[in-house]
Amino acid sequence: MRVEDIIELFREDKPRVSSEIRHVWAVFWANFKIFLSYRTWVIMETISTVASVAMYSFMGLQVDARRVALAGYGEVDWLSFALVGVATANYLWMCISRLSHSLQHEIREGTLEPIITSLINMRSYIIGQSIRGFIVSGYFMLGVLVVGIGILRVPLVINPETILSFIAIILLMVLSYAGIGIMAAGLILVYKKGDPLTFLFASITEFLGGVLFPLKYLESIPILYAIAWLMPYTYALDAARRILINGATIFSLNVLIDVAVLLAYTIIFIPIGLRVFRWGVNRIRYEGTVATY
Amino acid sequence: MDVKRLIEIISEDIPRKKTPIYRIVLSFIIRDFKVWWTYKFWLLLDISGIILFVITYYLFSLITTSQQVQEAGYMVGGYFTFALIGIAFQQYVHFAVQSINESIREEQWNGTMETILSTATDFKIFLLGEVCFSFIVSSALLLMSLLLGILLGAEFYTTPTSILTAIILTVLLIASHMDIGILSAGVIMKVKQGSPVTWAFSWLSQLVSGVFYPLKLLPWYLEWLGRAFPLTYSLDGIRLCLQSGKDLTSPAILSNIMCLIVFVIVATPIALYIFKVGYDAARRDGSLGQY
Repeated sequence: MRVEDIIELFREDKPRVSSEIRHVWAVFWANFKIFLSYRTWVIMETISTVASVAMYSFMGLQVDARRVALAGYGEVDWLSFALVGVATANYLWMCISRLSHSLQHEIREGTLEPIITSLINMRSYIIGQSIRGFIVSGYFMLGVLVVGIGILRVPLVINPETILSFIAIILLMVLSYAGIGIMAAGLILVYKKGDPLTFLFASITEFLGGVLFPLKYLESIPILYAIAWLMPYTYALDAARRILINGATIFSLNVLIDVAVLLAYTIIFIPIGLRVFRWGVNRIRYEGTVATY
Repeated sequence: MDVKRLIEIISEDIPRKKTPIYRIVLSFIIRDFKVWWTYKFWLLLDISGIILFVITYYLFSLITTSQQVQEAGYMVGGYFTFALIGIAFQQYVHFAVQSINESIREEQWNGTMETILSTATDFKIFLLGEVCFSFIVSSALLLMSLLLGILLGAEFYTTPTSILTAIILTVLLIASHMDIGILSAGVIMKVKQGSPVTWAFSWLSQLVSGVFYPLKLLPWYLEWLGRAFPLTYSLDGIRLCLQSGKDLTSPAILSNIMCLIVFVIVATPIALYIFKVGYDAARRDGSLGQY
C-alpha cells in the first residue's frame, strides 16, 4: 500500500475554515456549559460572596471614619471604600487566573492535545476562555455590589454615567492585566506549573492596591508604596472609587489620568503576553510534551 | 486447582509482628515531608500568603479604633493583636482541616488510597498519619505569623499560667477541628468531591466566630450561631489568655474549656462514624481508589 494514496484519500479538497468568531463561540460555549454543570459550586460561591460582604460590614464597625478620609475620596464610610476594592480585586483575580487555571485543567485531563491539533486557533481559544472568565467573574462582582448596595445600603453613586464609566474601567483593568494572564498561561504550558505564581501575584496586587486600607498608610514604607503605584490595579481601583464613591465619570481629569496609565499597560503587556504564549505553544509542540503533565 | 492447598501454601505460619502505631505514623510523616519538600514553591507561597495577610491587617488596624476590642474584655494590644490572634489561629485550623481533605483527595488522585488501606493499616491510624505532618507545618506557620505580628508591634499581656492555659485551649482547638476534618473526609470518600462540610464550616466560622471582630458587634442571631462553633470558644479563651493575662482560675476561661470538651466528646464519635460510613460505602462500591 502506498502511503501517498492514503493521504490522498483522507485529504479534503478544501480545508474547513470556520470563522474565528465561531471558534471563539465554540470555546466559550463548551466552557460555559462545564461551568453551568457545577451547580453546587456556583451556589457555594454565591453564598460565600454574600457572607464575605457581611463580614466586611461588621469589620467596618470598628473603623475610625476620620482615618479613611485620608484616602482622598472625601468623607466616605469604610464599607463603600472596601466594597469597591473587594469587588474589583475578586474580579481581577478570577479573570487573570482563568486562562492559566483552565490550561492546567486541560493538561491534566489530557484534552489540550486534541485542542492544539484541531483547527482551532490558539488566539480563539484564549479569547473564548477569557470571555467565559469575564462573564463568570462579572456575576460574582455584581453579587458583591448588589448585596452591598441593596441589602447593606452602601451609598455608592449609581446612575447611567457612573455605571458606563465603571464598566469601561473594569474592561481597561482586565485588558491591562490580560498580558500577564496570557504570559502565565504560556509559562504553564512549558513548565506545567505556574498557577501558584498567578495566586501570589494576585495576593500582592490585592495587598498593595489598597483594597482594605488607604494607600496613604503605605507611605511609611517607601519601597512598597512605590511598587503599589507601579501596578495597574492601583490606578484601576482609584478610578473605580472616584466613579462609584465620588460620582466622577471617565471624562473627569483624575479618572482620565488613570485611564491613560491603564491604556499604556495594555499596549505594553498584551504583545509581550502573546509572544510568550506563542513561544510556549511552539515549544511544547516541538518537544512533543503537549500531553505531558 | 485445589484452592485450599493454594491458600495453605501462601499462608504465613506466624503472622507478621504488628508494627507499632508510632512507627506507622512516623512513616506517614516522613513520606509527607519528602513529598512536601519537592514542592518548595508551595512552601514559599504559604509563607508569603501569611506574611501578606498579617501585614494587610496591620495596615488595616491603623484605621481602626480599639474601643470595641477593649469593651469585649481584651485589655492589651488593641485591634491588631486581636486580629492577629484571630487570623493566625483561624488559618491554623483551616489549613489543618483542609489538609485532611486534600491528602485524601491526593491519595485518590494518585491511586495510592486503595494500596494503603488494603494493607494492615487501620483507617484510624491512616487518618492520624495523614494529619500529623499537616499539623506540624501549620504549627510552624502559626508561630511564624505570631512572631511577624510581634515584629510589627502586636502586644501581649501574659503570665506563665496564662500561656499554659492558651496551650490547653490550642490543644482543644485542634481536637475539635480534627473532628470536622474527619467528618468531611468521610463525605469526600463517598462523593469524590471537595467537601461542602469544610466549605460551609470555613466561611461560617470566619463570619460568626469573631476572627476579625468581637462577637458583640454581630446581631443576636449570628452571635448565637457563633456559639455553635468551637473556634468561637477557642479564640475567646486564647485572646483572654494572651491579651488579658487570664488563666484557668478565670470563670470565662473555664466556661470556654468546658464548651470545647463537650464539643469534642459529642463530635468525635459522630465524625468517626460518618467517616466509617463513607469508607465502608466506598469499599462496598469498589470506588475507594476512584477519583
